[in-house]
Amino acid sequence: MDRRKFLKGSAAAIGAASVPTVHAQAQSAPDKIRVGYAITQSGPLGPGAESTVVSQYKLWNKRVNDAGGINLKKFGKKVPIEMVSYDDQGKPDELIKLVERLIQQDKVDMILSPYATHMNLAAAAIVNKYQYPVIMTTSTTTKTYELSKKLPYVFWQIVQPNEATEPLAHYIADLKKQGKIKGTVAIVHPTIEYGVEMHEAFQKAAKAAGIDIVFSKSYPFGASDLQPVIREAMATNPDAFVAMSYPPDTFMLTEQMQVVGFNPQIMYVAIGGVFPTYKGKFGDKVNGIMAYGGQDKSVAGYAAYIKAHQEMHKRDSEAGAVSVYAALECTQQAIEAVGEIDRPKIRDVLASATFNTLWGEYKYVDQRCSSPWAIGQWQDGELVGVFPGDKHGAKPVLFPKPAWS
Amino acid sequence: MVLFEVFINGIILGGMYGLIALGLNLQYGVARILNLSYGEFFVSGAFTAFFTIMLWQYNPLLSLFVSLPIAFAVNWLIYQYLMIPLIRRAPDQDALDADVVLVTFGLFFVFQGLALVYWSGDLRGYTFLSTPVNFLGATIATNRLLAFLGACVIAGLLFLVLRHTRLGAALRAITIDPVAAGLVGIDVRRYSALAFAAGGALAAASGMLVSTFISFSATTGVAYTLKALIVVIMAGVGRVTGTLAAGILLGVVEALGGYLIDPALTIAINFGLFMLILLLRPTGLFTRA
Repeated sequence: MDRRKFLKGSAAAIGAASVPTVHAQAQSAPDKIRVGYAITQSGPLGPGAESTVVSQYKLWNKRVNDAGGINLKKFGKKVPIEMVSYDDQGKPDELIKLVERLIQQDKVDMILSPYATHMNLAAAAIVNKYQYPVIMTTSTTTKTYELSKKLPYVFWQIVQPNEATEPLAHYIADLKKQGKIKGTVAIVHPTIEYGVEMHEAFQKAAKAAGIDIVFSKSYPFGASDLQPVIREAMATNPDAFVAMSYPPDTFMLTEQMQVVGFNPQIMYVAIGGVFPTYKGKFGDKVNGIMAYGGQDKSVAGYAAYIKAHQEMHKRDSEAGAVSVYAALECTQQAIEAVGEIDRPKIRDVLASATFNTLWGEYKYVDQRCSSPWAIGQWQDGELVGVFPGDKHGAKPVLFPKPAWS
Repeated sequence: MVLFEVFINGIILGGMYGLIALGLNLQYGVARILNLSYGEFFVSGAFTAFFTIMLWQYNPLLSLFVSLPIAFAVNWLIYQYLMIPLIRRAPDQDALDADVVLVTFGLFFVFQGLALVYWSGDLRGYTFLSTPVNFLGATIATNRLLAFLGACVIAGLLFLVLRHTRLGAALRAITIDPVAAGLVGIDVRRYSALAFAAGGALAAASGMLVSTFISFSATTGVAYTLKALIVVIMAGVGRVTGTLAAGILLGVVEALGGYLIDPALTIAINFGLFMLILLLRPTGLFTRA
């Protein structure tokens, strides 16, 4: 039995005397909206969680409260947010306990997404059970294609493996048709779920598009030396080098490719390729590299966002972080449309309304973002969105990738 | 040819493994303190180098002038004020080990927490000497070669000090039997503090050298504590040159196994080798029976 039913039931049981009190409490505006999240702050995934997600929660919290809070039109007033957070230490079982704690003990009004696919999935069933609408911001897995129906309270923000890899396969196939390349691809991936699923999705897309995968190997996450793998890939002389990588190996692959002088015409790295620290490390050598994610810096509201981001975090934002911030904007817009904390109604608005965000204009279709940025590319030292090609703000791809100088 | 390059890469990688383990072996072997916060000093060395090049635009090697003395001093203080009380009250080495593990594990959380607060959890990396050098036809990154040479120099110096100086004789005596060393007039507490502090300084030095080619964050320390521990246990507690040799063995086996069998298995191969050594020579490869 959920709390709502319990309240109704107990009100009936206790009798008419208690009803006005319950009623009066429901009418007065809350003095704050409590927003809770459990996320990885320590361990190997801590850095990514901080850079992409936690930094955005803190910024959103400050910007919303600086503006007076979230407007609850039912009470005709703005109500500030109060954040409650825990460290799940990167352990799914810990995360599940903490999310239940947020709901049952802290009695938060809304819950925000944890970090990384497996953690998003672990939290999804729990928040759905308690009917908390949550936009999972950092989950990319083929499982989401089935989960939408089973978990109506869970929304998926970023691009999923099929949509993330198909544009790249089609692009390579197009260049092959135009006779610009032979259409050969070398792919590598770390042996973690993300790497494996992206690898499988790309293989499927490549087969359908008619391009040849001439080399395919995996390596363990956290490997200290990737030069042997790069050497092997390089020996096959591919047109494109595609790495379904995670941040530490994204950095290492990029550096070691330069060391051995591997210069594919098309280069794709997955997570971490859009980080400002990636550009910070490699400078203009990032130009032409494609990566998972993307953004459009000319979108309305971006300048004000980036100014506030700089002030709070003393650094630039990144594409993944912008998508997280956009999910927060959607959450806020949905709460304001409903005008009170009524989670089933907020869920319905999220599932049907069109949102205007830093990530462009989109809806959630089958609870999945209808047009997430799939692939970005570094051009003139700036990250731009290149796929989906028909999304507002998408730029043409720079080809070929300039050789390492 | 590729096989030869993979072999050379394995040696260079193994040098890095040895490098990160040298300091821990001083702390564990001589001072008999299993320091689980070791990796935090590694990370502090990496961050000092990162800020030196990215914020102040100096050569990151210069950061050693800052990070080495600080790591030395902090580790000396840890030994004098946290470890000495534990050593005094422990009835035997086993009880001491249990206490030390708990306290240094706590220190690990304190240092990591501080690092997260001041340096955030962001992944960091910078470019320094990422140019290739040709070694007998094999291509090696200069920054990795530098770390390898650093490992050789440090191991060589330690070997010379331990074998050919009075200080070294005292340290070796403590390694073999701290009680007997005290009976023959060696100031065990002072020399152990020195070894512990030097181990911490080496952690910072290895962090600096490794940060030139591996990205890191405030939370990566523990991974290096574990790597260092594996190498120390493989080599044998208190064996300095053996530490470098064990690291190189690990690196070569990892590189060749990854190349000849499957790169996905490199970590499995590493631990397989580790288990094999534990089974066949539980006191370490280079410990005399």
